[in-house]
Parts: sequence; C-alpha cells; structure tokens
Amino acid sequence: MGIASAIGVGKDAIWKHLISGNTGIGPLTAFDTTDFKIKIGAEAPRDIVKEKLAILNRRPTDHALDLTMVAAHEALVQADLIGEAPPYEDQDMSVVFGTGKGLTQSLQTAFESFFEKGPRGARPTTVPRCMYNAISAGLSIQFKLTGTNYMVVSACTSATNAIGVAYRMIRDGYADTVLTGGADAFFEPFFFGVWNNIPALSKIEDPTKACRPFAADREGTVLGEGAGVLILESYEKAIARGHKSVGEILGYGESSDARHITSPNPDGQAKAMQMALDGAGLTPDSISFINSHGTATKGNDSCESQSIRTVMGDATDQIPVSANKSYFGHTLGASGGLEAIATLLSLKHQTLPPNLNLETPDPECNVNLVGSEPVSIKQGPAMKNSFGFGGGNGVLILGLSD
Amino acid sequence: MAKLKSIVEDSATEPVDLSNFGPETTVEDVGLDSLTILDLLYDIEQEIGVEVEAKEIIAFRTIGEITQLLIDKGA
Repeated sequence: MGIASAIGVGKDAIWKHLISGNTGIGPLTAFDTTDFKIKIGAEAPRDIVKEKLAILNRRPTDHALDLTMVAAHEALVQADLIGEAPPYEDQDMSVVFGTGKGLTQSLQTAFESFFEKGPRGARPTTVPRCMYNAISAGLSIQFKLTGTNYMVVSACTSATNAIGVAYRMIRDGYADTVLTGGADAFFEPFFFGVWNNIPALSKIEDPTKACRPFAADREGTVLGEGAGVLILESYEKAIARGHKSVGEILGYGESSDARHITSPNPDGQAKAMQMALDGAGLTPDSISFINSHGTATKGNDSCESQSIRTVMGDATDQIPVSANKSYFGHTLGASGGLEAIATLLSLKHQTLPPNLNLETPDPECNVNLVGSEPVSIKQGPAMKNSFGFGGGNGVLILGLSD
Repeated sequence: MAKLKSIVEDSATEPVDLSNFGPETTVEDVGLDSLTILDLLYDIEQEIGVEVEAKEIIAFRTIGEITQLLIDKGA
C-alpha cells in the first residue's frame, strides 16, 4: 500500500501523525483564497511529491495524477512488484481506480484558456490530459501494467467502490493482481469554489478545530487532497511468489439509497454494511472496530451512527468507531483509499488513533466513539465505511493476513 | 532559437535535458511524440504567431529544420 496525503507521504509518516493526533488541515496555499469563504484545507506537501516524482523521471503535471503516481510507486515497490526506478517491464496487472473530481488542475487550466481565447484556447492534448481515465491510463503506462485500466467515479465512495470491484475481479478469477484505491486533488479556484456556498463545509476558521467528526458542535467537513493505493493480489499468487501481504479483504458490500442526491439514508448504508458482513461470513461481535465515513457534517455522522446501530445491534457498544477526516480532510473520491490504509495500519498496530475535536460527542451519534487518546483494540477484522453524494454506499471488511 | 527552446521545455511532460539544445537536436531528443508534438505546434502558434500544420512539422526531424520553417513562414 502507498499513500500521499496532508499528513505525509508514505505509510510510516502517516501512522506517526495519526497516532500523535496531528491534523493535516491548515491554511490553503495552492491558490489565493482572498475571495473565498473557506480558507483552509488539507494539502499534500508538493515539495516531497515533486522529489518522489523525479525518481520516476516525471515532472509535476496534474496534482491528482502526481499524488497517484507517488502513492502507486510506494505500493508497488513495497509489494516487490517493481524496482525503485524505471525502466519497468510489462506485467499482467489491472488498474481499477477511484476519483470524484478527476484531473482538476488540467481542467482549471483548460477552462481559463478557453474562456480567455475561445475554442482556439484549447491545447491539442486537453482531451487526454483531462479525461477521468487519464489517471488509470497514466498508471498503466508509467508502470507497464497490461491488464485492464478504468476508473470508478462515485463521489466520496469512489475509492471504496474501486477496491470492491478489484476484490471481486480477483475473487471471481478475472485477475491475479489489481492496483486500486483512489485519488482526488481539487484545490483549484473553480473546483474548490463550487464547494464554498453549500453548508457541508465547516466555517470554523481555526484549522486544528474545524473538522469535528461526531461532535455535538460539528459544523461540517474540511476538504483535503490525497491518494491511497492498494495492490490486491490473489492468495495463490502471493503464496507462489513468496510475498507476505499486509492484510486481506474479507468482504465487500454496496448499495444505493435511491432517495436523495445529497442526503444520506440509513437504510441504504445499513444494507451495504450488512452485505459486507454477510460476504465475509462474520457476525457483529467479531468486528474489532469501525473506520467510519465520519465526515463531520450534520447529516452524515448521525445517519451513520444510526446505520451502525441497526447493523451491529447489541454489539454496537463494544465496537470502537474511528474517524480519520480530521487528519486527512475529506479527500472525496480518495477517502476510501486513504482510510482503508489507515484501517490496515490500525489493525497492524492494534491501536486506534484519537478522534480529534470530540470533546462533546453528539447524543444523536450513539455509538462507541474513540476519544482524545489512542485506544487498544482486540484482534479481529475491521469495517471501513464510505458513503457519497449520489447515494452510493460502499463497505469493506479488512483483516490482517494470517 | 531561445524562444523555441523555452516552448519545447514547457511542452515536455517529463524532464528533458536541453543543455545541448541546438539545430541538430531532434524532436525525439526532447521527448516529443506524435501527440505531444501537437502541443508544441499549438504553443508555437500562440507564442510566435505562426501557424504550422502538423504534417509540415512531422516532416522535419531537427530543431534547426523547424527553425528554418518558422523563418520561412515569416517568424
């Protein structure tokens, strides 16, 4: 697995910050925020990303693609599937990747040029630079991956849906190895601007206090950017090449609320959670913790709590609930990738990072929330929830490898 | 030539060594392929104000030849 985020590049860096309770949210520097209501976000460190890209003989192109490349490089090297530096040889690996917003830096540049110069302002490569699958295609070309390549686009559920699709491809025998996860980077004036006038974003100005998942005084989410990459491999192939994997996917569930384009629905969420548990052949009492969607919006956190109680029943009070968005920000289509990695790291260390800014839990979020200190957890698989605008729900059950 | 060098540098999608940039440099040397050369043409048109057809530039292999083409077209 590989990660590029506001709390660091690389899994060791992010675990250090998670366990220490250090948020990645700060004043936005990517563009001039003078005219914007919201002036904070969780930005990935561009200098480190640029250094890592140089290993791949790349220069920065589009930030979403850049973060993806860096995270994919870490994941593939760690999985012993490529060497540190190119050239790389062809290998039979597929790419199924998630994004919510796509190549926003390229699109912003194209918009500006088009609105300044008209049709003559469109560079010839605008289409291949801006298409959503420039990310999966870029991964395939960079790392010489000759399986299929395509994107899954479902807002904040994108990465989790992509991981679920990749899992099923392997489970059902259509692939041995799939590079999956998600990326989003949209600190561009247009793409950040469109979020400014909807009530989903926190108006709290202090970056360290702005994102307050499950708190009674939460005011909304804070946006972030990042990429999280997982390499899924069949058990047989991992054994055959003698590779010890970090963890395994035990189950996946998905559903659609079929109710409202933005408001979440507990029935839809519960359906996906139950499907994931059933797929893994598990009962609620075997779940060691839940890595929640936990956006810190009014709507999500109470709804998600209700869904958890519906599915987990009497076991709810024994299952700690963790929320990572106060660290990474809400990275939209990347969030399921980043948080799946955080889930695996939590399993590995048998410890959950503190939930930041949860001094006063919301009584309507009646679940067993982790507090301001790290919490030890029992052994056993974890549940990872992702829910998105559009009503799509995706849930993974993740465990450590035997 | 210096203007062309800066346009080539901006058009490249990966780091390219332009320390020996000169008339003998080929389009392959600066990392351009059949797609990215279209961006180079576009940038030449925007920056220098000369329209060049793709088939004209693809027929040339070196920067020197491209420079001569631009001069012939009145750049």
